[in-house]
Amino acid sequence: MMLTAVFAGFVLAALAPWLTARLGGRVGWLFALLPAAIFVWLAGYIPAIAAGESFYYHYPWIPGLDINLTFLLDGLSLLFGLLISGIGTFIMIYAGKYLDGHQYQGRFFLFLLAFMASMLGLVLSSNLIALFVFWELTSITSYMLIGFNHEDEKSRKSAQQGLYVTVGGGLALMTGLVTLAMVGGSYELVELLGSSEVVQEHALYLPILLLILLGTFTKSAQVPFHFWLPNAMAAPTPVSAYLHSATMVKAGVYLMARLHPTLGGTDTWMIVLGLFGAATMFTGSLMAIRSSGLKSVLAYSTVMALGTLTMLLGVGTPTAIAAAVTFLLAHSLYKGALFMTAGNITHETGHKDFRDVGGLRREMPVSTLFGGLAALSLAGILPFFGFIGKELMFEAVLEANTIGTLITLLALASGIMTVAAAAIVGLRPWFGVRKPTKHTPHDPPLAQLLGPGVLASLGLLLGLLPFIAERSVLSAAALAIAGEPVELKLSLWHGFNLPLLMSAISLLVGLTIYWKWDTVRELLQARRFIDTLGAERGYDAIMRALVVVSEWQTRVLQNGHLRYYILTTVMTLFALLAYTILTRYPVWPGVDFSGIELQHLVIAVLIVLAALVAVSTHSRLGAVATLGAVGFGVALMYVMFSAPDVGITQVLVETLTVILLVLVLFRLPGFLDLTEHSTRLRDAIVAVLMGGVFTLLLLMAIDVQFFPSISEYFIEHSYPSAHGRNIVNVILVDFRTLDTLGEIFVLALAAVGVYAMIKLRAEDRKEGDRP
Amino acid sequence: MSVSLALPVLIPLLAGALSLAFWRSHLAQRWIGVIGTGALLWSSIVLLKVTWQDGIQVMHMGSWAAPFGIVLVSDLLGAIMVLLTGITGFATALYSLVSIPREHEKFGYYPLLHLLLAGVAGAFLTGDIFNLYVWFEVMLVASFALIILGGERAQMEGAIKYVTLNLFSSALFLSAIGLLYGVTGTLNMADVAQKLSQVPEAEQGLVSVISILFLVAFAIKAAAFPLFFWLPASYHTPQVAVSAIFAGLLTKVGVYVLFRFYTMIFADDTELTHTILLWMGMLTMLTGVLGAAAQYEFRRILSFHIISQIGYMILGLAIFTPLAIVGGVFYIMHHIIVKANLFLVSGLVYRLRGTYELKELGGLYRSHPWLGLWFLIPALSLAGLPPLSGFFAKFVIIRAGVEAGEWLAVAVALIVGLLTLYSMIKIWNEVFWKAAPEGCEQREAPPYTHQGNSLVMYYLPIIGLALMTVLIGVAAQPIYELAEAAAEQLLNPVGYIEAVLGAKP
Amino acid sequence: MKIESSIILRAAGHFLLPLLIIFSIFLLLRGHNEPGGGFIAGLVAAAAIALYLFSMDIQAARKALYVDPRDLIGGGLVLAVLSGIPAALQGKAFFTSLWWPVELPLLGEVKFSTPLIFDIGVYLVVIGSVLTIVLNLAEAEEKS
Repeated sequence: MMLTAVFAGFVLAALAPWLTARLGGRVGWLFALLPAAIFVWLAGYIPAIAAGESFYYHYPWIPGLDINLTFLLDGLSLLFGLLISGIGTFIMIYAGKYLDGHQYQGRFFLFLLAFMASMLGLVLSSNLIALFVFWELTSITSYMLIGFNHEDEKSRKSAQQGLYVTVGGGLALMTGLVTLAMVGGSYELVELLGSSEVVQEHALYLPILLLILLGTFTKSAQVPFHFWLPNAMAAPTPVSAYLHSATMVKAGVYLMARLHPTLGGTDTWMIVLGLFGAATMFTGSLMAIRSSGLKSVLAYSTVMALGTLTMLLGVGTPTAIAAAVTFLLAHSLYKGALFMTAGNITHETGHKDFRDVGGLRREMPVSTLFGGLAALSLAGILPFFGFIGKELMFEAVLEANTIGTLITLLALASGIMTVAAAAIVGLRPWFGVRKPTKHTPHDPPLAQLLGPGVLASLGLLLGLLPFIAERSVLSAAALAIAGEPVELKLSLWHGFNLPLLMSAISLLVGLTIYWKWDTVRELLQARRFIDTLGAERGYDAIMRALVVVSEWQTRVLQNGHLRYYILTTVMTLFALLAYTILTRYPVWPGVDFSGIELQHLVIAVLIVLAALVAVSTHSRLGAVATLGAVGFGVALMYVMFSAPDVGITQVLVETLTVILLVLVLFRLPGFLDLTEHSTRLRDAIVAVLMGGVFTLLLLMAIDVQFFPSISEYFIEHSYPSAHGRNIVNVILVDFRTLDTLGEIFVLALAAVGVYAMIKLRAEDRKEGDRP
Repeated sequence: MSVSLALPVLIPLLAGALSLAFWRSHLAQRWIGVIGTGALLWSSIVLLKVTWQDGIQVMHMGSWAAPFGIVLVSDLLGAIMVLLTGITGFATALYSLVSIPREHEKFGYYPLLHLLLAGVAGAFLTGDIFNLYVWFEVMLVASFALIILGGERAQMEGAIKYVTLNLFSSALFLSAIGLLYGVTGTLNMADVAQKLSQVPEAEQGLVSVISILFLVAFAIKAAAFPLFFWLPASYHTPQVAVSAIFAGLLTKVGVYVLFRFYTMIFADDTELTHTILLWMGMLTMLTGVLGAAAQYEFRRILSFHIISQIGYMILGLAIFTPLAIVGGVFYIMHHIIVKANLFLVSGLVYRLRGTYELKELGGLYRSHPWLGLWFLIPALSLAGLPPLSGFFAKFVIIRAGVEAGEWLAVAVALIVGLLTLYSMIKIWNEVFWKAAPEGCEQREAPPYTHQGNSLVMYYLPIIGLALMTVLIGVAAQPIYELAEAAAEQLLNPVGYIEAVLGAKP
Repeated sequence: MKIESSIILRAAGHFLLPLLIIFSIFLLLRGHNEPGGGFIAGLVAAAAIALYLFSMDIQAARKALYVDPRDLIGGGLVLAVLSGIPAALQGKAFFTSLWWPVELPLLGEVKFSTPLIFDIGVYLVVIGSVLTIVLNLAEAEEKS
């Protein structure tokens, strides 16, 4: 069942283009059945899991590598699973209508369904590598979805950016996970959760932590990697609502929460997560009120939420964990609703900017209601669920000790700006002066209202009846994160206390900012330096540097000149040989001249002289002739050392070579002396060095024969066993037939090659091809 | 002894000889092309099956006892490599039916193809060092002829660089064989391995020197840093079917011999050889991937990526733990299929749009969405994204690197993975996602560059190889077991030696 | 290539060609026991035709060869590969040598064997390859 639940999405994805082509936009309702079914199935686990149980499923995949499809269903994965399938249901319905009639709606559903399945796999996996596989799959599907409008260059660039940042972080994550598994002794989360002491005391703890955080920070858009997320808004709205707000970007948060029992609780953990989380929270909320695009305000407010969650996990106290799970749920509900509503506004009016819309409440009353409800939850107003999350968050940061003051201030500032942002999204489009729009707007059909309606209403319902959420999943999720039972005590009213005061301040100041929003925004936008602070510039610089470096390297290395290639190759060989001889062979060979006779010496000198002439002559014919002389000299040597067959062969081959060379010689252009003196000198030095090393090698090896040679066997067996007295020939056609066979094929190949080279000319063909 | 051991060598030899004998008939050559490579594939499957079930196979050619005659040996690594040869050969032969112009057939395309495969298979199966040299020669001459076939100026220029540097490698290889024979008096690999372990301590230095000669010779063949120049200079010039087979197989022969020699034969002075290999591997990965980033021609990008991927395999060998060797073997298996396929895709794109220049291409996702899928599978696999074959290959190597504490190597492997993705995404963006530039959709490859109008034979091998890529990833367990067993045999060469020379009393 | 060859060279070509070919066959057959063998014999025969080419012209050389040199390559290769197969049919390793001593009139006992067949293959391939190159180069030379 578990496998079916995870993989059904992939199967349905594969069928999606075909089904969509058949059914059109209505297919959204059909696709929604799958996440709805998964939701119901998961909901069936609520009682058991709320009672503290957890479920573990094991399916072997690649046991040799400890990679298995193992699944862990506890409070945390249940919470995420319900969010993914629940919101997924409404997204499918919404997208069916939103992209109705779009040429590529089929492909859209393909990637969306595949994403949903991957995301489910991610949060349910217990095996680190299986989890990572799903993690990467969400990056790829996200890439395909951000680049959905792929003929637009900006879409392509944004998709690319999201992919590089998340996959780059993913690679670090993989290394971190592998190292964690090595240190912790298992690739299974269920086993690692209990080994926090071993891991945290290991020398590799810090690298593991940092590598994993690099992965989670990139995925969950933490400062300084947050820049990809607003750009990802190039994707169609259902994608923004689902991937880039409710689910995928929370994968990093999920993993940090998941690994909290193993890695969390140390000072490093608290400081890194606390600081980066708070910085992200602040940056997100600031950028939210600095932008004016419908989706970019929401995107930055998502960054704010992700930062808040990271910060809370960093603080790690029971209150903080309670705040984290509450805030997570609240955010998913209102942000999904808000994105879908924003999509509806664009869909209906044709505008994408808050500055261009206003006073739509008459034409779109239902949208106004749902959008308003969701925005109230975002602002953290009593009695919405968002209020509870925010109160708990303030309470948690007030408790935090290490960096408490700093993050409390940042939290308050973010709270203020979040209220302003909520007002922007919740009031601006609906109230005020009716601005002229491209199309005449009206409330969209049911499919596009269902999601916002349900999600926004849930925000109110859970605010009024928080125990529903607490008793069903949130307590269990907090238990999984903390590793021990956490009492949540969710309620609307905590009495008059500091958090309430902070809420009140943020509400007042936030509304004031909204009142003066146009001024504030322009003021902020005029501060161009804020643009230059982001890591996006770093990303761009890396991309540019990559091209520069790679082009430089190619110019230097692959420069197109054969002579440099040869030079590099020879010098590499020389360097390695020289190093090896110097370090491994301290005994220099003594040379024994005793066996040398006069005629050997004469021939040797002749060969050397001929070679010298061959390299220095300016006449091609001269070079051919002297090379021939070298060959004949070698042949003579063979004869002297009683190998007549080899000698004869050498002579014949030399003869034919000279004939061939003469045949082609006249076709060559005149001899030109193009190299400079210094170049020739350099080449000469290299050649002499190389020759010297080889001479040395031969001298080293000449006396070294540790074992009897196999040639004795050939001499012994040539006649008795192989019926031939000519050992050379017997070796060729019997002892080592396979060598000879190979060599005659070489000869034949050479003939074929030369034949083709002479006969098949590109120029002739193109001439002939023309009519 | 199983007859199937010699067949992967003899079948392509015979097919090559026959298609030379029937050089007048196009039809006969095409049939021999398909049947010959099909038979090669079949025999390689049989061989792997036999080797897996019955252990290392040995055939003493001519019935001369080892180490005197030549032996063919198939251990798992050899059998795996031969199977990959069969797969690539058959896929390429099908692709050739439509992509190779008639004129090339007339001037010996098919014989060259068969003999190239014979050389590759021979190199994988021979248990004799000199015989290995012979197969290297067969490969070299066949590949040289394939590069120049067509007579374009660029082909000639590439071919000259290719052949010069490779001949240097051959000369080096031969010198090394001479020295090794001088020291050990034998050419049989198993015998050499056994005898080298008995060389007196004081003379080990000479063995190290010889091992360096082999190392450089093979590193040139494998296109490792800084010896790879011949590859980017030549691989984009021949027919794309030829590039595919080169990309898949040729450099991997170099990698294969490195694996063979530096586990079984030269495994004593690892402080020297494997340190060199480690640095070589890392630099190969980096320079290769950066080279690709600078290119905007489909085949040139792919060519540079061959180099960087070779680095991963060498890295596996260099880390030299059992898991790392498994990773190397796994990587080779994955890479051959993926790389050959990417070249085949580039050829199809050329067939459809008449150019390899990314700037002039575009709009293929709109017009050929399925082709997009067939490109993405190998491309993302090359970049190591899950759940495709390349992910697991990379994962094993990275896990081995982490467990061996080779942090620098791990870091390089990761960065190179990301940069590989960069190049693949560049192709995807430019060729598939970008809107088609003016005139792109009307253009087609000129008719003299291919045969007939059917595209079926273009798609068939591409789809087949893409499905294999998915399969290796999704069903990685059997592949992993195979690689593990192959690595086990490499690291414990006693089994190999006993199979060849007979068990010692 | 049109070389104004001297009458002596022409006569020598005419006269030497058959002698050299016979000599090459002699080298081929005795190779197993005395210096010689398919490779050397093939080179001698190829050199003989090349010499003939220089003394006469290409058409004459092609005529003297009777067959297209590319047929020699293909035929020789097939022969060489096939010589390894009979042993396998008898259950031995490929290329295990098989010997069939035959009593022939006049010549006495002659040993036919698979290595001999193989060597003949080598002989043909060498002639075919060398001459494919030489003849085509000469032809290209003539055209230009």
